[in-house]
Amino acid sequence: MFPGNVEGVFNTFYAMKEIVVGIADLKVSRHSDDIMVTYALGSCVAVAAYDPAARVGGLLHFMLPSSSLNVSKARENPSMFADTGLPVLFKSCYELGADRKRMVVKIAGGANIIGDASFFRVGQKNLTTLRKILWRNGILISGEDTGSNTNRTLRFHIRDGRVQVRKSGGALEAI
Amino acid sequence: MKINPRILNSIKSLPAFPITVKKINRMISSPDYSARELASVIKYDQSITANILRMCNSAYFGLRHKVDNVQDAVLYLGRDNLVRAVLAAGISRYFKKTKGYAVEGIDLWEHSVSVALMAQILSRKIYNHEDPKLFTAAILHDVGKVVLGEYVCESCKKIKALVSEKGYDFLEAEEEVLGVNHAQLGGEMALLWNFPADIKDAIAYHHRPDMVKRKSNGLVWLVYLADQICLMTGIGGGADGLAYRGLKEAFDKFKLRQQDVEEAMILLLRGMEDARDLLDIVPDKRSVPRTAPQERSLRY
Repeated sequence: MFPGNVEGVFNTFYAMKEIVVGIADLKVSRHSDDIMVTYALGSCVAVAAYDPAARVGGLLHFMLPSSSLNVSKARENPSMFADTGLPVLFKSCYELGADRKRMVVKIAGGANIIGDASFFRVGQKNLTTLRKILWRNGILISGEDTGSNTNRTLRFHIRDGRVQVRKSGGALEAI
Repeated sequence: MKINPRILNSIKSLPAFPITVKKINRMISSPDYSARELASVIKYDQSITANILRMCNSAYFGLRHKVDNVQDAVLYLGRDNLVRAVLAAGISRYFKKTKGYAVEGIDLWEHSVSVALMAQILSRKIYNHEDPKLFTAAILHDVGKVVLGEYVCESCKKIKALVSEKGYDFLEAEEEVLGVNHAQLGGEMALLWNFPADIKDAIAYHHRPDMVKRKSNGLVWLVYLADQICLMTGIGGGADGLAYRGLKEAFDKFKLRQQDVEEAMILLLRGMEDARDLLDIVPDKRSVPRTAPQERSLRY
């Protein structure tokens, strides 16, 4: 009477809500049914932050490393840059009841065009800046799928903090 | 070049984007439509752009010079021919999806628009003005994918394995598996349709502008650069990801700095929002939340 796939059945009865996070965008949630999705990570990087006790999560999809490029744009949309997006990501999670000490962080993206020229390595710059900021703040990265030259889609489940990544149309894999 | 005849046969007609078709038909049916307004809608649609340029440059019209932009084409063709061109683009293989390159949330159409916008952003930066011919070349650059998508789908595993295991770029992998890459095929299509030579080159060499033999005016390099920057931004092609070789001389050629690239990415995001407002035909479900729900079947 009950098929093996319990989650599948559950999903059928209680439609999960998909929250789409765009390019240079940030969303936070404390609703267990929410699944955050960000499509088409190229050189951009997605940062999923989660408090497993409070079940609060936030997802940032930033495009460029440093707000020094365009300060007024950063003020208008902090999610565009790593250095302005990350503080907003964490603060927004804390406002929903997350605790700094419990935060689990996973990242994906930062791909590059093949070649050595720095022009094509925006992804690498993004990752380097992200790591520096997290390191300075004593935050560990507990899972990642980064670099290389593939597109990525990331799904982030607020119910349990699971993060799945799909590379260039392949299968969804947990990180 | 030896191309699979099945692939060549598929070149003949291209699918179109119905919302645009509807919009254009509505505009044409008004007795005093403006060519400029009409061109501003048509130019965002690669299939219709291809079709009306093909028609304009056909022997039937016998024009002495090649028509290379939509606005001129609209003027030359007149109402009846326009209706035909738009319908021909519209009814052939209506909602057909080009599966091979598809990745969820990305479609070829949106990518094409983004490259066209990016090309104009670069043109403004470098030359201080926009260029309608560049827009045409950029929006058509991936036209080969529309046809090749079917075959990439069949051979996807092989192609991906070459990219991930043997360090091929996506073009090399396409050539090895299919005997032709999407840029070359697009070039063949442009040739068949009698497009101006520099637009044909911009399509055929959009990943390898360094291999153009004809003396180039920078068109092909700009399309190349625009494409690469869009791939990085994530308004990408699809299964090919970022698996293309970066040619540093592209930046040297136009004296662009790293900062210029990053600023162009910011401008592009804004440009894509404006394009959505203008046309409402990007069937998007990711970047701009205020967009109304779209017809999913438009996704490539």
